[in-house]
Amino acid sequence: MRSVLVGFDAFDPFTYEALAGNGELPNLTALAGKSGYSRLKVCAPPQTEVSWTSIATGSDPGTHGIFDFVHRDPATYVPYVSILPTKQSAVGEQFIPPYTARTIFSEAADMGYPAIALWWPALFPARLDLPISTIPGLGTPDVRGQLGVGTYATSDPDEKKEKTRVTLLKESSKGKYLGALDGPLTKTGAGLQPAKLEFSLDILDDTQAALRIGTVEMPLILGQWSPIFEIKFKLGLLFNVTAITKAILTRARGKISLYFLPLQIHPLSSTWHYGAPKPFIKESWNAGPFLTLGWPQDTTALEEGCITDDQFLALCDSIFESRKRVFYHHLSKMKEGVLAGVFDCLDRVQHMFLRDRTDIVRDWYCRLDGFVGDVRSKMSSLGLDKARFLVMSDHGFRKYRYKVHLNRWLAGNGYLAFSNGAAEPGLQNVAWDESSAYALGLNSIYLNVKGREGKGCVTAEQIEPLLAEIKAKLLNLRGPDGSNAVSSVFMKHEVFSGPYLRLGPDLVVGYAPNYRASSETGLGKAPQSTIEENRDHWGADHCIDPAEVPGVLFANRDVANIPEVSFRDIPFLMIGKHLDQSYVKPPSEQNRQGQENIEDRLKGLGYL
Amino acid sequence: MFKKLFQRPEVSTAKPVVIVSGLPRSGTSMMMKMLAEGGLETVTDSLRQADEDNPNGYFEIELSKNLKDGDGKWLRTAGGKVVKVISYLLEFLPDDLDYAVIFMEREISEILASQKKMLQRRNETSSVPDAEMESQFREHVRAVKFWAARKPNMRIMYVKYNEMVDQPADLCVSIAEFLDLPLNISAMQAVPSQSLYRNRA
Repeated sequence: MRSVLVGFDAFDPFTYEALAGNGELPNLTALAGKSGYSRLKVCAPPQTEVSWTSIATGSDPGTHGIFDFVHRDPATYVPYVSILPTKQSAVGEQFIPPYTARTIFSEAADMGYPAIALWWPALFPARLDLPISTIPGLGTPDVRGQLGVGTYATSDPDEKKEKTRVTLLKESSKGKYLGALDGPLTKTGAGLQPAKLEFSLDILDDTQAALRIGTVEMPLILGQWSPIFEIKFKLGLLFNVTAITKAILTRARGKISLYFLPLQIHPLSSTWHYGAPKPFIKESWNAGPFLTLGWPQDTTALEEGCITDDQFLALCDSIFESRKRVFYHHLSKMKEGVLAGVFDCLDRVQHMFLRDRTDIVRDWYCRLDGFVGDVRSKMSSLGLDKARFLVMSDHGFRKYRYKVHLNRWLAGNGYLAFSNGAAEPGLQNVAWDESSAYALGLNSIYLNVKGREGKGCVTAEQIEPLLAEIKAKLLNLRGPDGSNAVSSVFMKHEVFSGPYLRLGPDLVVGYAPNYRASSETGLGKAPQSTIEENRDHWGADHCIDPAEVPGVLFANRDVANIPEVSFRDIPFLMIGKHLDQSYVKPPSEQNRQGQENIEDRLKGLGYL
Repeated sequence: MFKKLFQRPEVSTAKPVVIVSGLPRSGTSMMMKMLAEGGLETVTDSLRQADEDNPNGYFEIELSKNLKDGDGKWLRTAGGKVVKVISYLLEFLPDDLDYAVIFMEREISEILASQKKMLQRRNETSSVPDAEMESQFREHVRAVKFWAARKPNMRIMYVKYNEMVDQPADLCVSIAEFLDLPLNISAMQAVPSQSLYRNRA
């Protein structure tokens, strides 16, 4: 078995078809040929981590257990990041794998083949019990164990950022500044405090500076990213944590500013099981190096004005190039087995530019097309022509004009009540005995079920009518321009099946194009309005109705003739095996109506 | 690790059984005749003789009716040969053999018209309205296609009856490529003729 999968996060079929129609994507068009292309039915909800996990397992969230970016503990209503779960152990809080369902990688390894998964979401921490070579993707935390924000160093004491950490640059002498980076938390006499690492910045002229941090001396050029460099934080006498980052000098005259990417796990020096096995990680690092954060394209820095559009795009370029190097390295050594790599810069670029700069988005589609051409050419030179080759995406993309504050809508319709006088209404101050439903995550609504939720009040008999009522009302929700805000609402049994079904949300909300849940909804908050115009840089999204954001599937074999090809089919196409057989029902079991008539007819004709 | 290496599934080297399938009256007998002329050995018992409905013969084997009862042992010796199995019975083929399926497609309205005439000649009647039967056959074919595309032991090629009758040359080449067999193309393409294209609605 030899199978290569290139995953392009958020590669949109409508954009592909338009560009290919103009002859702008020759390599993908050639791969598509007569029957090697199909739109791909994606899972509900079409969120990156849910979708790639559904693809890897060939199953829906009811089987793998990742339903939304945010889950909750029903006993306490406390939200947590679904792809970064932890558990308490003798040595403190430890990350644990977010799911254990079989994947195309574990299955290939089980069959005795090498399996390599590069930047596939939800594979952090590495599963040491499985012989899979892994560099994890989305869900990999920073050195603090969080999803990661960068540090903005500025000489302006009045400059503030909402999410980004800000540190003051103090001028020690003319053109010479001192600052400090906050590292991982460590126990001190004053409780848990971030370890500090001091640095100096010498402004050399209007376009150059010298950064000294730890043992690193790094020349910086205005507006250009440094290479990846390593820094070490001392956490006590014997314990150090090594991190990697990049820095960029963003102002060298007047007010001085410098931005550091989130401090990321050093893959060769991690306290957690970043990837596996170690020789594979070392080999990959030597072929890179590469940023390790699950979301390394720093959209927060762009949104908060720490970096410019061009600087953000330059960062995406460098991430893409380093991933290509690692991917090519492993491709060049491939003799058999499975090699899969997820390239996710297009997703971030579309989030930030699809609404206002389609030229940038178009360039990225052309760039990925060129990459496909290069991969095919390399495969050919390596004698891998007959290997299975799949190029696919986890979902498409749509513009995002309106934010829906779903908890405010639930409150406005009498399903959710907040305690009197709550300054910032959210799940932390709900009057639970008066509340029957709440929203959390980007597509999830839960009922406040008695016996399941900590302060549940909805009885078993009330569940079905309540779900039907909320569903009907949501489908009538209109936006400021009169358009429908929601185009589908699924009850859990309609889209999920498997052992984790009971843990899933009771309703999955499929927003119509132009709408999405607000990020406040994701965290269970409820701002004052129900629908708000989206003025953020983040102007496009995909966490909507799955029917509106299909993915793509290209293959060097017939896929156009696979009816209703979906995420469930990827294991079959990749390793020739279904991981979840339940959806491949024989014809007579798919629709029993009419079977009798067909049998009578066949008997009449002498065929039975 | 060594244990894992020895767990690899064996790659089948047996020749796949060639299956000609489709709804009755979709051109399956014509395709059987074409493959026979092309040089492929047919698995048939010739119990059902040629008649007005199929002047070139049915190329059927009575044993195929037993597939539904789990009797498919007789297919073990059919590797590299061609067998006619109507679409309804495809799902009962044994899972431990590999198949290359040529699935005949024809307009359902034409199939129904042809079936009606055949029923009349057999003195059979049907109380099911055409529209209902058409919808049930469409759903049946959809379900077969959905299922067959996902069977690891089944490769499938769809052949449109009308195209085969009107322009057989290219399709015969494609069929030979699909089966990866050195078939006699000119003999194959001589089979379809307008005279076979009968019972059109």
